[in-house]
Amino acid sequence: MSLLLTAFLFALIGAIVFSLIGLISGTDETAIMVPLTLLVILLGAPPVAVFSFFMAAVLAKHLTHAVPTALMGIPGDTTAVPLVDHANTLRRMGMPHVALRKMISGGIIGAFIALPTAVLLGQFLGQFADFFKSSAGIIFTLAAILIAYFSKGRWVSVLMIIPFAFFIKSLDLMSFTLLEKHLSISFFLGIAVGPMFSDILFATSASAKRSIERSKPKEYNLAPETKAWKGYFPNPFKILTNRQKFFTAITTFISSLTFVFSPVGMTSLMGEIVGSRTKGAYKKSTTSLTVMNGVTESTYIAEAIIPLIAFGIPLSPVALGPASPLFNAPPVFTVDPVNNLHTYMTSWDFFIYGLIGLVVASLIAYPFSMNYARKASVIVMKFVSQEAIVAMFLGLACLLAFHEAQFVGIALTFTVAAVGGLLNRILGIGAGVQFMVFYASAWIMATLFGF
Amino acid sequence: MTDKHSNSRETEQKKYLEILGDTIVPNQLLFSVIISVAVSLGGYNLGLWFFPSIASENMVASYSLLLGITGTVLSLVFCSFVFKPKRILIEEETSFESMKEVFEDLQLDVDEELALIENDPITKKELEELGVLEQFRALGGEVKK
Repeated sequence: MSLLLTAFLFALIGAIVFSLIGLISGTDETAIMVPLTLLVILLGAPPVAVFSFFMAAVLAKHLTHAVPTALMGIPGDTTAVPLVDHANTLRRMGMPHVALRKMISGGIIGAFIALPTAVLLGQFLGQFADFFKSSAGIIFTLAAILIAYFSKGRWVSVLMIIPFAFFIKSLDLMSFTLLEKHLSISFFLGIAVGPMFSDILFATSASAKRSIERSKPKEYNLAPETKAWKGYFPNPFKILTNRQKFFTAITTFISSLTFVFSPVGMTSLMGEIVGSRTKGAYKKSTTSLTVMNGVTESTYIAEAIIPLIAFGIPLSPVALGPASPLFNAPPVFTVDPVNNLHTYMTSWDFFIYGLIGLVVASLIAYPFSMNYARKASVIVMKFVSQEAIVAMFLGLACLLAFHEAQFVGIALTFTVAAVGGLLNRILGIGAGVQFMVFYASAWIMATLFGF
Repeated sequence: MTDKHSNSRETEQKKYLEILGDTIVPNQLLFSVIISVAVSLGGYNLGLWFFPSIASENMVASYSLLLGITGTVLSLVFCSFVFKPKRILIEEETSFESMKEVFEDLQLDVDEELALIENDPITKKELEELGVLEQFRALGGEVKK
């Protein structure tokens, strides 16, 4: 009983913190989820509570990141990018609140469909787990090639796999010589805060600075306040038309199964398929938004859960990015040997504690973004400065790296952040590719050089 | 929010930098980072020094981490308070005109859109409840003239 209560409390924390973070537009998923989840794990939360926290955080963040997407036409984060066009159409028609309502209703439905589907599929794939675990090295390498090919940079990402593996392994040897232990949190943090750090490097470079210089503060257009329902908790099923409910259910079910593809890719694809079958700008926009936000939610949840239940090794873009601490957060969780949520939780646990997370997040973030969307985003925009946000994440990265390996950890984190961040920003070698190469580096170097 | 006077005076100077999709002032970011890192690590090390005397050994690291994160959050509040956001918020009014513009921009046929809405009872009811059906109708009438 007390375990349920602990899980509930952690879900509550996750839901509240990430409801607020979601309002800050343009925040990078991995840069935010990774340090905060690591923190919860390292603080010694029980595995089931970590899972409830993560699920609540994911859903809460996605429900509130719909707010900047709908009200200001700027993507709440990378997964919201495909939604911006449709959200803008409705916003300019003067109906941003409709866009918001449709999006978050779709998201809620998507989440609750994805959870059972993903648990069942994870359970089914679990029978092949031994094969996956025993050949993890080569699977990581093949997956790295595949993910690299589908990354923004495409061929450059494939080309850089071996050099980047060499880089990672060298740093690993260096830090091992200094500390006599292998580091991983510091590597992780480096890859996660890389894009943010590369902007800061640009700012300190006399020549590169020009590309990010601006003569005036960024402008945000905020849509007017409108509320069109009674009470505090609008029923998500009443907000959607039957057709929208039907399409959301189908697409979120399908996207729960395709856990190896990127959430952004699936979101665009499903939105496009459904949108092209819908006539009229209003109907097309509202239906696409509902479906797309549902799909974002379901791929996210499925991509975290399926590899956790089935393999215990991170084999999906989400598992490599935001959910990576659930797999690997030494000394608590490790991938090699597999000792993480996969070992500590049964499929049934995943369902129950996942459900706790989703329900808590729905009860907090859903009415919050329905009722206070505009007020909350004005407060965040007016009172929380970007300086403070960037500083907070750098502070957090330093704290966690220091916790793992004192100043060696900090030096390692920012070395990886500098290289990884620039590769990411300039060449389009995404964080997912880098995480995958990190996992594959030991096998690649052992195979190539016998070391 | 930046006030209008200082803004117009310094438009020629490029004093802002865009970091993670939002504008910042370089020196303020530098101070924020120094404060945040110093307070976070300070809190953590203070915990490592202080907690062994009151807590059991295996909890020291966790408590220290908690003290460190408290420091991070406090510096977020402090930095936000000292360094105000550099964003310009524009409150939008959606008007009849902008609606017309949207349809022109998207190269949409208003009549076709209106017909699709009128022929679909569910969408029609939805728009009626939102109070925007009249806007669509008015727009349709306008174009015909």
